[in-house]
Amino acid sequence: MNLSTLTNRDSLFRTLRGPNNEGILAVVLIVLVIGMSIVNPAFFSVGTLFSILRGSIVPLVFALGVLIVIISGGIDVSFAAIAIFASYTTVALANNGGFDPGLVGVVLIACFFGAVLGSVNGVVIAFFRLPTLIVTLGTQSIFRGILLAYVGSRYIANPPASIDQLATTNVISIVNENERAYLHILVIPVIVLALLVAWMLKNTMFGRGIYAIGSDSEAARRAGFPVVRIQMLLYTLVGVMAAFAGVLHVTLGRNANPQSLVGNELDVIAAVVLGGASVFGGRGSVFGTVLGVLLIQIINNSLILVGVPTAWQRTAVGILLIVGVGIQALSAKRNAKKVFVTAPLEG
Amino acid sequence: MTIKNANDTLNTRMSGIISRVQNEHGMVRMIVILVGAFAFFTVLKPGIFLNPLNLQNIAIASPEIGIIAIAMMIAMLTGGIDLSIVAIANMSAITITTLYSGIVATNPESAAAAMPFIVLLGLVVGLVGGLFNGFLISYLGITPILATLGSMQIFNGLAIVWTGGATLYGAPEALAVLGKSAVAGIPVLFVLFIVAAALVAVIINKTPLGLKVQLQGTNPIAALYSGISPKTVLMGTYAIIGLLAGFAGILFLTRNPTASADYGSSYILLAIVIAVLGGTNPAGGFATVTGVVLATLTLQTVSSGFNAIRLSAYEYSLAQGTILIAVMIIDQITLKRRLRAPLIKQTHTAPQLVGK
Repeated sequence: MNLSTLTNRDSLFRTLRGPNNEGILAVVLIVLVIGMSIVNPAFFSVGTLFSILRGSIVPLVFALGVLIVIISGGIDVSFAAIAIFASYTTVALANNGGFDPGLVGVVLIACFFGAVLGSVNGVVIAFFRLPTLIVTLGTQSIFRGILLAYVGSRYIANPPASIDQLATTNVISIVNENERAYLHILVIPVIVLALLVAWMLKNTMFGRGIYAIGSDSEAARRAGFPVVRIQMLLYTLVGVMAAFAGVLHVTLGRNANPQSLVGNELDVIAAVVLGGASVFGGRGSVFGTVLGVLLIQIINNSLILVGVPTAWQRTAVGILLIVGVGIQALSAKRNAKKVFVTAPLEG
Repeated sequence: MTIKNANDTLNTRMSGIISRVQNEHGMVRMIVILVGAFAFFTVLKPGIFLNPLNLQNIAIASPEIGIIAIAMMIAMLTGGIDLSIVAIANMSAITITTLYSGIVATNPESAAAAMPFIVLLGLVVGLVGGLFNGFLISYLGITPILATLGSMQIFNGLAIVWTGGATLYGAPEALAVLGKSAVAGIPVLFVLFIVAAALVAVIINKTPLGLKVQLQGTNPIAALYSGISPKTVLMGTYAIIGLLAGFAGILFLTRNPTASADYGSSYILLAIVIAVLGGTNPAGGFATVTGVVLATLTLQTVSSGFNAIRLSAYEYSLAQGTILIAVMIIDQITLKRRLRAPLIKQTHTAPQLVGK
């Protein structure tokens, strides 16, 4: 990285700000936490932290999948349909067959369904070069239709014992006279997954290929990236991740409801975009996405603690999104007017 | 032939082919599909399907989703998209219902006199919502999909705050009466729908704004260098979309005299399906109102046909998705073939026309 042309203060500022404005987001997050703690001291507690983390488990896995798609220059709105399809079908299979596939079995079966559905997206998008938003809107409606019409529309209250057991397992339990705080065990696989995705995006040929396609798919093709194969693979991978999120959702909720999850896709996309990923592709980071998910979780779970009625949640997220992308758009406009200077090339 | 000349002929030929494919092909295809779907269900269940009541139901159910689809089509014409249309429509319906029931409660005599103004106010709410979107997109430069994703959350959120998540009763009775009335067997709502569609068609095809909208969608940079101000065009576009959304909100009330924040939550997907099915290019530049009207009728026919042969709403959702993807794949294949055939006979990948 050549920053010699920049002054020290500039470079320090750039490092703190991060390649996708993650630094600014982190500051917003900290200010929000401090503000809420001043308004209501009860907010600043280990219990709140743990419950926000628990609430972030499923959205974060979704967001990581959406992040990969957005970096590649697409938009996916079918992930929630894939998640509930895979997890509900797995639970229904186990229930109807009267067997318990075990934790690993459940995850494997669900991920298999996720891979199949994800590859459907991949085939349509990669081979026919169709707009991703509209394709995934279509497949969302297909997956949901098949699930509810042919697999089942009945609520299943008792998932297999092996995953049900996990629902009440905590890594850290703090119980004293002041508070009760539990950190759910499923936070661990999600952290591992986030680290894996970050590593994949940064250090593998596949990950760099995703950025390359998102920046300019024609240039990526000429540079020798197998564009069709990368797209196929990435949509399959995102399908698997969505299925995994579906299993987490079923485990945490201790029921399988085929009507759940679908309809909240836009919240996840909002979190990823707030996290600095560009809908034009080629930009975005796992760190930013984690911050974006946490920010939306704090707003959704904690506004009530500072006396804002829950009815304002949606509006608050909408305003946050507009302000976030508005600032990005305005600074992009300003930068476009400047003479181009060398900028650090980072994902 | 110099390279520049070759490129020029290639470009003119391509745009000629594309507009032909998009317009004529889309229209003929829609008529074929509509007649085909109609014949199919008629053969399966003539008794139920050809019942005048069923046909009237199709004509009454089409307008609200048709207007939303036309609004979506206009957004796509400029290469954008509008996810907030249904949220704006609900705001309009909620405004009308709240005001009207408020006036009825305090001063019942003047309610009838105030009715037209209240309904007009519904359109104003739509216009304001549309102008807000236009401001975000043209002045701040936010991508339409993100701007309208955010504004959808805001409008929907405000509607939730306003109604407390409950369903509001007490919409003007006159609207419900309008929804039930018919002229010569044709429901008034359907007539209104056709009039509104014709108005939009005139705006797009015959006015300077319409031409600018089309140019903006075909090639924004060329439009800019032709002296077209993208800001004015986009403001105008989203203002019209907002007005149509407000109108859709009024139509909601004619069919169902209640208003709530989450009415028609599946309409945005459906509107995109209809717009694309009707020959709209999501990347901008090409669309016909007739195609969208025909696509609306087709989907309503399929929906009511599914009802007649006792298939569930889930199977209808499955059919919607399948139709959408099948039509896009067929379009893409025929477009590639048409582009390839008359050109130089070397392997040549078709340019990505339906962008990402």
